[in-house]
Amino acid sequence: MMKPYIWLETSDGSIQQVEQEIAMYCPLICKEIIQKGMGSSKNCAICLPQRVSPATLSLILDYCRFHQVPGRSNKVLVPALPLSLMLERKSYDEKFVRMDTKRLCELTSAADSLQLKPLVDLTSRALARIIEGKSPEEIREIFHLPDDLTEEEKLEPLKNTTDDPRIRLLNRLYAKKRKELKERERLKSVEVEEEHIDKRSVDDLLSFINGNDEDPKGIKTSKNKKKNRRKKEQHQKNSCLKEASGVNKKEVNGQNIRHTNSEADIIAETSISHTEDVFAHKEFDDGDIDDGIDPALKEKIDREVEDFARRLNSDWPERMQELLSSGQERKTMLFSPNGNSFLRRNACMFFHCL
Amino acid sequence: MQRMAYTFSFPEEVLEHVFSFIESQRDRNAISLVCKSWYEIERWCRRKVFVGNCYAVSPVMVIKRFPELRSIALKGKPHFADFNLVPEGWGGYVCPWIAAMACALPCLEEIRLKRMVITDESLELIAKSFKNFKVLVLTSCEGFTTDGLAAIAANCRNLKELDLQESEVDDLSGHWLSHFPDSYTSLVSLNISCLGNEVSLSALERLLGRCPNLRTLRLNRAVPLDRLPNLLRRCPQLVELGTGVYSTEMRPEVFSNLEAAFSECKQLKTLSGFWDVLPSYLPAVYPICSRLTSLNLSYAIIQSPDLIKLISQCPNLLRLWVLDYIEDAGLYNLAASCKDLRELRVFPSDPFGLEPNVALTEKGLVSVSEGCPRLQSVLYFCRQMSNAALHTIARNRPNMTRFRLCIIEPRTPDYLTLEPLDSGFGAIVEHCKDLQRLSLSGLLTDRVFEYIGTYGKKLEMLSVAFAGESDLGLHHVLSGCDNLRKLEIRDCPFGDKALLANAAKLETMRSLWMSSCSVSYGACKLLGQKMPRLNVEVIDERGPPDSRPDDCPVEKLYIYRTIAGPRLDMPGFVWTMEDDSSLRLE
Repeated sequence: MMKPYIWLETSDGSIQQVEQEIAMYCPLICKEIIQKGMGSSKNCAICLPQRVSPATLSLILDYCRFHQVPGRSNKVLVPALPLSLMLERKSYDEKFVRMDTKRLCELTSAADSLQLKPLVDLTSRALARIIEGKSPEEIREIFHLPDDLTEEEKLEPLKNTTDDPRIRLLNRLYAKKRKELKERERLKSVEVEEEHIDKRSVDDLLSFINGNDEDPKGIKTSKNKKKNRRKKEQHQKNSCLKEASGVNKKEVNGQNIRHTNSEADIIAETSISHTEDVFAHKEFDDGDIDDGIDPALKEKIDREVEDFARRLNSDWPERMQELLSSGQERKTMLFSPNGNSFLRRNACMFFHCL
Repeated sequence: MQRMAYTFSFPEEVLEHVFSFIESQRDRNAISLVCKSWYEIERWCRRKVFVGNCYAVSPVMVIKRFPELRSIALKGKPHFADFNLVPEGWGGYVCPWIAAMACALPCLEEIRLKRMVITDESLELIAKSFKNFKVLVLTSCEGFTTDGLAAIAANCRNLKELDLQESEVDDLSGHWLSHFPDSYTSLVSLNISCLGNEVSLSALERLLGRCPNLRTLRLNRAVPLDRLPNLLRRCPQLVELGTGVYSTEMRPEVFSNLEAAFSECKQLKTLSGFWDVLPSYLPAVYPICSRLTSLNLSYAIIQSPDLIKLISQCPNLLRLWVLDYIEDAGLYNLAASCKDLRELRVFPSDPFGLEPNVALTEKGLVSVSEGCPRLQSVLYFCRQMSNAALHTIARNRPNMTRFRLCIIEPRTPDYLTLEPLDSGFGAIVEHCKDLQRLSLSGLLTDRVFEYIGTYGKKLEMLSVAFAGESDLGLHHVLSGCDNLRKLEIRDCPFGDKALLANAAKLETMRSLWMSSCSVSYGACKLLGQKMPRLNVEVIDERGPPDSRPDDCPVEKLYIYRTIAGPRLDMPGFVWTMEDDSSLRLE
């Protein structure tokens, strides 16, 4: 025979009697009663999870009391309900979640531990509405959360090392391409010089290389030229490769990238360029992606900008001066080497408003 | 003092569950910045990401951070590409993204691209890599042919949406549509309005007939009007329809057939298409006009009286796109009939003509601003404007959020007073406190920019052409508009000073475009050196900027913030100003 009441023990050790019909609305309690036969007396009271305090239990029982009435259950599809019941249910739910955030969080947590999904949904939605439209600072304040992201992470939370080997390979590829680009620039500027200076015939050059000239500088120059010419050839090949796998049709080795073997393809592309580059590049690593400015250069740039600013100020009409002095703070940040305060002020907007 | 987080007892799944109800990008971004644990939880359950500039971040970075992505949206070329200001081959290639995602995100379901270049190879890769692929939207894209579409049709068993809005497709043949297998039934939305060739109409009819969830169908011009009823009968549940050509020989049975087919579409709310309209066929849509909320007649050459007859039957219209044939008279009628109107776009029928060809003036816009209390979004091409009219519009509609006025002839003054239109636009920014987007035109001095800087606090996007007098103008905007994300400028006398003085501002914006202005190469170099997190792109078809003096102005300048460094796919006429001041010579 089903007893009308069962015994529940909350996290603080207190035990209370609750109408069985209502308590059974919680799946966890239902299981305890039916599968384990618990709750029939004070001695075998059902131990509720840690997250359920007496106050929270009381709220949950109120919820169950309302919803276990036939026709109100969330299990009934909304279109099947008469409009009046639907509105009644909605109105109850809306009023139910009106409480301070702390209690709402406790309620969500408790409902989750009791496996009461409809209530978890209801409270989660309410929490979502609280979060929507707020800034990170406001959210932190409301939920008492720590501000433990570093400036770097806020700005570039993506510079962590990667675990996925495929993605690591892709990263390598990018790094390599950038290095190639830099190499090409450097070499091209060397080539330009070369073209201006060197008007000798191939025979002359060969005689240099073969040691006919005792000038050490000459020999060195010729060796460099030889190396540069080889580099130039290789880079021409590379650029052909690049053009073949160029901007409009990015194919690997002129073939379509097949999804079944994409990792192999990426490795293939890496190794092919690798053999071409054996002389040009010694090695490359992931740590190559570095956008920092060399401090000496930074100083030079800062001096140039300050100089420019001085010239700027002298040209502008008075009104402009006024405007500038009111924006003085911003201007100072522009000229400071690392502008951290600027970054901090605008960090949250940076990456996320792309 | 360490206080206990209210959510300390939450298992991760519960927080994830809370986050699952939060969809907007801004909110998701805010969540990820709250604290370390929320950042981690959020990134694992982020399903949808929007990248407003494909060069601002690398595909690998995005994938690494959001391993469970199902949906991605990317934008490529700057907006001014729509006006042919961005040379062919500038960039916006989506291939690296597709390759990376094919590799690492097999569960990807949705790809939405705008102003990007996508090849058939990429389309084939999409078709074969993503087993549950559902949505492909290519807006103003190019670089592909109907062969790529065939691959999508043949392989994407769960495809719901295929939308090629305004893309440039190399239309090799209409047979691609037949590649949808007979077993394929999941189509919800199909937009092929940009295709040139006729698709196989029998294949189309069969396709429509077996897809019960079809809601949106936008046909191309090549679909003849007399075939439309048969198509409609296969999908009477349509909500959005774009017709093909809207004329044929006038025959009573064709008309009645068409009218009957339209009447059966009880859910139809949006109409577009209407190429080459024969006015006597317009009444065929009258039976459904009362349900219409959106009407796009921007290709329809219909004169004002016929337009009036049509529009006066659409009292529930929320959005109207129309040619200036509507004239002031038609707009008065619109203001009287469509009280719920939210968005109006009036396009020029003859933008290059020297004399006005239609009786459309500022009065039409003023009357709509008076009669339509919910009007929020306006794009209006006209030939005359006055400060008085702008003041009236501003006072009538303080709820305006998007205001784009295009007075066709550059530097046109107030036609009544011959003064600049500074005060009129000033009134707009002052009264419309939630204004997010603004395009200027007409004769404008630095003063208008002072107003914009002072009042345009919510402004996110500003388009400027042939306006201003000095750097002061640009300075006002950059220093005053706190929420500015996109700024595009052409043919204005703005130079180095304002740009350099506000360099820090540029890192808070998505992008800045300046063409035919007075920004010198030297300033570009300086900016590139000083701001490592900006890509400063000089676009110059005259050859390497190094071959000219440093104080020579660059043709075009595109500056955008990025955490991916300089891009690797630039054509020969684009130079990125490097941080270490080495320059690429090509």
